[in-house]
Amino acid sequence: MEAMLAVANGSAGTAHAPGAGGKFLTFTLGHEEYGVPMLKVREIIKVMDITQVPQVPDHVLGVINLRGKVIPVIDLRRKFALPAMEHTERTCIIVADVDLSPVRVMMGIVVDSVSEVLNVSDADIDETPDFGGRKTTDYLLGLARVKGTVKILLDLDRVLGSDGQLGTRAI
Amino acid sequence: MSSTHNELEAFAADPELAAMFIADAADHLGTIEATILKLEASPADLTLVNDLFRPFHTVKGNAGVLGITSIQDFAHKLETLLDLARAGKHPMGPAEIDLVLKTVDLLKLVIDELPARAAGQPGTDVSARRRELMNKVDELIAGAAPPPSPSQGTLAAARTSMPSPAASVDEADRARVNRDDARSTVKVDTKKLDDLVDMVGELVIAQAILAEDPALLRTADERLNRRLAHVKRITSDLQRDTMAMRMVPIRQTFQKMARLARDLSRKFEKPCHLTLAGEDTELDRKVVEHITDPLMHMMRNAIDHGIETPEVRKAAGKPATAELRLSAFHRGGFIVVEIADDGAGLDTERILTRARAQGLVPDGAQLTEAEIQQLIFQPGFSTAAQVTELSGRGVGMDVVRRNIDALRGRIDIETMRGRGTMFTIQLPLTLAIVDGILLAVGSDRFVIPTFAVQESFRPLPQQVQTMQGRPCMVQVRDRLYPLLHLGEVFGIAGARQRISEGTVVICHDAGRAVALAVDELLGKQEVVIKGLGDMFRTVRGIAGGAILGDGRIGLILDTGGLLALAGKAASQVAA
Repeated sequence: MEAMLAVANGSAGTAHAPGAGGKFLTFTLGHEEYGVPMLKVREIIKVMDITQVPQVPDHVLGVINLRGKVIPVIDLRRKFALPAMEHTERTCIIVADVDLSPVRVMMGIVVDSVSEVLNVSDADIDETPDFGGRKTTDYLLGLARVKGTVKILLDLDRVLGSDGQLGTRAI
Repeated sequence: MSSTHNELEAFAADPELAAMFIADAADHLGTIEATILKLEASPADLTLVNDLFRPFHTVKGNAGVLGITSIQDFAHKLETLLDLARAGKHPMGPAEIDLVLKTVDLLKLVIDELPARAAGQPGTDVSARRRELMNKVDELIAGAAPPPSPSQGTLAAARTSMPSPAASVDEADRARVNRDDARSTVKVDTKKLDDLVDMVGELVIAQAILAEDPALLRTADERLNRRLAHVKRITSDLQRDTMAMRMVPIRQTFQKMARLARDLSRKFEKPCHLTLAGEDTELDRKVVEHITDPLMHMMRNAIDHGIETPEVRKAAGKPATAELRLSAFHRGGFIVVEIADDGAGLDTERILTRARAQGLVPDGAQLTEAEIQQLIFQPGFSTAAQVTELSGRGVGMDVVRRNIDALRGRIDIETMRGRGTMFTIQLPLTLAIVDGILLAVGSDRFVIPTFAVQESFRPLPQQVQTMQGRPCMVQVRDRLYPLLHLGEVFGIAGARQRISEGTVVICHDAGRAVALAVDELLGKQEVVIKGLGDMFRTVRGIAGGAILGDGRIGLILDTGGLLALAGKAASQVAA
């Protein structure tokens, strides 16, 4: 909710998105650096055996056994239509709490590598540039300029939100 | 009784005590119901009256502790009557038994509504019903004692002389009951229990993963192996004991049925005698919760449709009183619940005519007796000539079947015209674990519940029937089964393409069957069932996930969903 407000305020013309700052876990996908709010992150695990589930979109890799809990795993590369890449020893699964109202679920997100936990102040966050009214920016919390690089801050609930009903689309 | 708000103050102030009171009262009222039905069968048994008295007394006492005077007063009134009966001064006739049952009903209602009322919501106004019942008690007491004053005097004397011995007995009783309670039971929140069971499940899996670790399998260290075996033994004992904690006897459900049968037999004026067997059979708490409604429905059906009127029965040379039997027992890792009547049996001709009229069976289709019997489980099917309050609305056996399917159980019918019908419900001992067969397709593992599997074999090439070049049927002993190539349907890379090189598993669901083509069978395994979560709820053919011995997840196949997929595959071939 806060995140949505922040984005809304940002596009309303303020220089940055107030309230979006905080701790972010950053990770890489190809040459790009992304960040997700640390509060959402439960843990980071190595890639383990993933059991494929039929009839789901490509970017849903399947399910894993996280200490007795069955959780779905999403490949963020495929989700963002980036070229596929073999898993390396740096490939990680970020286990995050995702709010797919009305339910909250734990999900695993496969990323190329995890970088660091960043403290991002409100002032570091730029509003998302206007790409000409396309919906793609809906799931961004903003862009953070830190140490000369740009981190793309993701609103996980929105990135993965549409996957809440993936089954209905898949069949 | 004047101010119901005040009397609920203590109740509202201590939610824990209040919850305990409600749970306790439900137990006691259940006992009372069961006892009174026994008393109805053998009215002269004074120990039964005593058994009746005690729970009433406890409910009264507990209500008193919480200051719920309306319940206390009401229970006290009944106790007075039972006290007289216990002392042999008042016979327990049909009127008394009716009265006790009505009292139980009213108390149930009042107690059920307590939390809502304590929260400030208005409850049902029962004052009229209560007054009526209390007056009735007075009438019965007065009626039992002959009017002349001398006996009135003895009655009064009896009342006054009673307290000392009665009180001492009560005290002793209560003390014993309390001691028993303290020793044998602790009330635990079911959520905590479920969490514990989950955690133990994880422990069992973790232990299995450890035991299968290659490093440990390689080792020849005797001591290490011995210690591992010890851990394994403890783990499985722990699992068995925690599972047992979730088990409850089916007794309460059976008691409800006894009450229902009694009420219905009066309502339809069809005298029947219900025999209960195996009330102590234990099954998973969740199974018990979900089996009550189907059983009630089947009991209604048995009495409404199955059992004939006494006249018809006499004409058929049967005793006027019908026999109903409800029994529960273990059979091969399952719990079996049987409900049998000696009524008219299923009228298959009428069922078929009706099903044709309702469009459930295409004209000209030839059905076997067994297939016709299965029709009663079709949604929308009803043979009741007229819609009664209890049955004949077409929402009946299909709901029963659905409930039982949801419990991963199965229901079978055995019926003989003019002799009666028996429904057999087979249920898993627990919902947390399923006995499954492990299948391999490519590098994927699947689990299919053993109860759904009929047989498996490697098909000869000539057994596989193709249509438009694609294999779509398998012939087994003159019967054709629709074929579903699991690797193809689920898009699994590396699955064996030639069906005759793999294995075919015939599995059934709700009377239909499908042949699954898989690579091979890996063996039998008990698996802990885990839901896949909301995200995958519309995935067809998959019922959940199971954590396998190596820590990976195997998907549990859902036969019903697979059948639907087979239907779709067939229509695609045809198109």
